[in-house]
Amino acid sequence: MGISNSLPVKSSPFSWIMLILSSLVLLFIIAPLAGIFLNTNGSQLIETVNDREVRESIRLTLLVAFAATFLFAFAAIPLAWILARKDFPLKGVVQGIIDLPVVIPHTAAGIAILGFISRAGFLGGIAGSVGLSLINNPAGIALAMAFVSLPFLINSARDGFASVPVRLEKAALTLGASPSRVFFTISLPLAWRSVMTGFVMMFARGMSEFGAVVIVAYHPMIAPVMIYERFNNFGLDYARPVSVLFITVALAVFILLRLVSLKKKDSHNTADAET
Amino acid sequence: MLKLENISRKFGDFALSGINLEVADGEYFVLLGRSGSGKTCLLELIAGLHIPDSGSVWIDRHDITHSRIQDRPVGLVFQDFAIFPNMTVSGNIGYPLRSRRRKKEEISATVDAIAAEMGISSILDRYPHNLSAGELQRVALARTLVLNPRLLLLDEPMSSVDASLKDDIKKVLRRLNRNGLSIIHVTHDYREAVSLAGRVGVIHAGRIVQEGTPGSVFSRPANRFVARYAGIKNFFKVRFLRENNMWKAIGEGNLTFSISGRETAGEGLIFVRSENIIVSASKPAPGTDNCFRGIVKEIFPSEYGIEITVDAGMLFVADISVADFGLLSIRESSEVWITFSAGAAVAIDGTDPDIQTRDRI
Repeated sequence: MGISNSLPVKSSPFSWIMLILSSLVLLFIIAPLAGIFLNTNGSQLIETVNDREVRESIRLTLLVAFAATFLFAFAAIPLAWILARKDFPLKGVVQGIIDLPVVIPHTAAGIAILGFISRAGFLGGIAGSVGLSLINNPAGIALAMAFVSLPFLINSARDGFASVPVRLEKAALTLGASPSRVFFTISLPLAWRSVMTGFVMMFARGMSEFGAVVIVAYHPMIAPVMIYERFNNFGLDYARPVSVLFITVALAVFILLRLVSLKKKDSHNTADAET
Repeated sequence: MLKLENISRKFGDFALSGINLEVADGEYFVLLGRSGSGKTCLLELIAGLHIPDSGSVWIDRHDITHSRIQDRPVGLVFQDFAIFPNMTVSGNIGYPLRSRRRKKEEISATVDAIAAEMGISSILDRYPHNLSAGELQRVALARTLVLNPRLLLLDEPMSSVDASLKDDIKKVLRRLNRNGLSIIHVTHDYREAVSLAGRVGVIHAGRIVQEGTPGSVFSRPANRFVARYAGIKNFFKVRFLRENNMWKAIGEGNLTFSISGRETAGEGLIFVRSENIIVSASKPAPGTDNCFRGIVKEIFPSEYGIEITVDAGMLFVADISVADFGLLSIRESSEVWITFSAGAAVAIDGTDPDIQTRDRI
């Protein structure tokens, strides 16, 4: 803390080039977002806020993305811990499988999920036997979101567990704690920051998913699908206010979640970082 | 109380092999070894963090080789203390008690009592990240001692505390040992062995190469490694006495040493670092301290220059620079004189557990 890792500033041509190039990238991210906000007038926005369909789709998006993240966390966190702490044959292959959803096209992922949850598929068959259809159902949307966003939670949590000093876990064991107690009192609290970062990343990635979801469920309509539908049917002017509203809500939730999840553990994370 | 029988355990390309060790009830055993010698692995094995490939671990005549970590009456204090950063000091100390599902009131009473004993009552509510190494060490000791282990394992307890705190920690450790706690203390610093140990073991490359009282190990190293390890090649068993108002030490073969800084009679040890011994081909001026005539036994290059072993009734080892050696023109079986100042002869008590070295080492 307090020690700057920046190089001494010198206004050489090199540093000017670096500065200009960095500014361009930053501008590239900011400009379209600023543009979409500036090109949307207040009355359009108010109209959109009052549109029940839009509100419903944003609510659905947030809810399903959160549910998907929350439910899958119960299995993803143990997997992350195993990857961080245990050695087993083909561990590299397992790690590769986890990263797979990131590299395959999301529409292809959607097709794969669809096959899995359709009545002829494995999970769809099970759901069908109790009279449930996963297609065009929030549960199906949640599965599609989870499929493409799980790597974010697993990888972040795995890094978190890996950064917990093994000595602390050993010490807890010698102090009479059972392995499960060590996990819940030492490993998980110390990896908490990374686990929560992963949680927020998975949630954010899930709620912004379009490709996989649109194949599994056009209806009920999540916000990214609705933006696409408005654009297709009515054009840019109609898609824009929905986009602005969704971006705003998503940003607000994102910031809120980060604040809540990270602030709680602030009391010790400086020490955490040092160990 | 603790008995290790023929323990072997592989760790990747390193292995502990054929370790036999016995520590008696109430004994203070110091295990000396360089980093990588296997001393930490051995402690972790006793604590149950590793299971030996072969051999057995006994405590109080129970075979605990395969006992669960939680069931062993052993406490381990890690080199960096391993204080849990997500708990307060009192949370840390109470952790083992909560693992045993003790009652809340009992836990807080026990924590308060041990904190008072360790002098850390005032920091119970603080988080560890801004505590000093000395405080962390006391917290680690308190946390380990709340379960009343029969055997305390200490991994390099002096390595992370300031020099000024080392004496305090030594006092605490001696007190615990006097109260009947058996201790195995692992270190790379032979001075800790000299000042704390009842018995010393030297571990090298996964084997215990020598074991005995500090005096016997340092004065009669089993091999060149142990001797070099201790950093000392000249260790003499002596009797201290006062003669003509001067304190002297009498060694084997009635060799008489002039010493300084020692003013009590009795048995003890003196050691002289080999680089403090001066070798000359001609007789030094009369009145020079500690002047002995001897025969050169061995000459060979050492990491400092040239090492010369001289038999002057007892074997002395001197380290001299290559340049000085060139001026001497001596060879094996030459007659030489060796001298060292009274200040270079460091006197220690061989038996008193509170012995301190009296001079620079």
